Amino acid sequence: MNELRLGPILIRNRLLIALYNFVESRLGIKEIFDLEIFYKLAPSHLGIFSCFGGITFFLFILQIITGTLLLVYYVPTTAHAYDSVVHITNNIPFGWLIRGFHHWGANLMIITVFIHMGKIYFHGIYKNPRELNWITGMVLLMTTLSFSFTGYLLPWTQLSYWATVVGTEIPSAVPVIGDYIKFLLRGGTDISQVTLTRFFAVHIMVLPAAIVIFIGMHILMIRRQGISGPL
Amino acid sequence: MFKKEVEIKYLSIEDKIKKVEKGEAHWFFPHHVALQIIIMLIVMGAMITLVTLFPPHLGEKADPFVTPEHIKPEWYFLAAYQFLKVADIFELLGRWAPKIIGVAGQGVIILIIFLFPFFDRHPERRPFRRPIATLTGILASLIFIAMTIWGYYS
Repeated sequence: MNELRLGPILIRNRLLIALYNFVESRLGIKEIFDLEIFYKLAPSHLGIFSCFGGITFFLFILQIITGTLLLVYYVPTTAHAYDSVVHITNNIPFGWLIRGFHHWGANLMIITVFIHMGKIYFHGIYKNPRELNWITGMVLLMTTLSFSFTGYLLPWTQLSYWATVVGTEIPSAVPVIGDYIKFLLRGGTDISQVTLTRFFAVHIMVLPAAIVIFIGMHILMIRRQGISGPL
Repeated sequence: MFKKEVEIKYLSIEDKIKKVEKGEAHWFFPHHVALQIIIMLIVMGAMITLVTLFPPHLGEKADPFVTPEHIKPEWYFLAAYQFLKVADIFELLGRWAPKIIGVAGQGVIILIIFLFPFFDRHPERRPFRRPIATLTGILASLIFIAMTIWGYYS
């Protein structure tokens, strides 16, 4: 065999063909390629507002990449957090760009999430059979807002410190368990090193794990049900 | 809906080609992928422009002993924050009331949004054929925006 045809792509490179055949004979990837990529149909009625779920996902990927890069230099201690952010911004090559991307990505993500939600709402896409997808979407909205809330404290600035003081005060209004929630969020009675450590842990480990699971469910449900039809 | 998608997925290649020729669908690859790449590039361009022209502001280092005059949350929490402040009018019910009503009220709103598909079960999807849902949505969006602006300037 001198050629390999994958949908519109024609491959003549012997090495690539050998590699493809190696995997194909073991996993049967041709079927997956044909069904999921090369002979997959996409709806032709999609407008600009249908893109915002995907744009949010793309921004989230950028958040993972820039967040991981920031993690390399960020120091999660009350003594050094602020200085490490200044160091990233001023001294690390392209640190300003990475931090700027993370900052703007977070803000744009919230805007695109709301636009996506508006599109789903006003065009009635949440209706049967997509109720479960609406619920996972709401979980994703809550997770995104939690990301913002925990991430905001990390640079340890006056604004972020006092916004967190006020923010963690809110659950104490809940009857009976309110003060426990506040204590749990802060890791004590005040915002301290313990608070910074747990916000950091939640921001870089707990929430990413949760959001990846729910994005997976969200997308798998779309793949199973298909994009909703035109109005 | 769900059944329809699976039927489309497992159509024979000839039938899929016919659908594309009739304009009922596009090929995912390369047509749809190319669109996605274009959108990703636009987003990247917007991001780089924003980051370069409006780099994120980093204020002073946190000082637990100096309380700033105006404490404001980020813009996306301003509406919720203003809602809590507005709930102060319930003070006439007692000192407990403003905080609990402010927080519980928002909890109830979020719960209603979570379960919204189970309240609105009519299959009609066109916005003008379901005026109550559409007006509710517009009103809720306007209140959210108004509360955000009010929170910003108060």
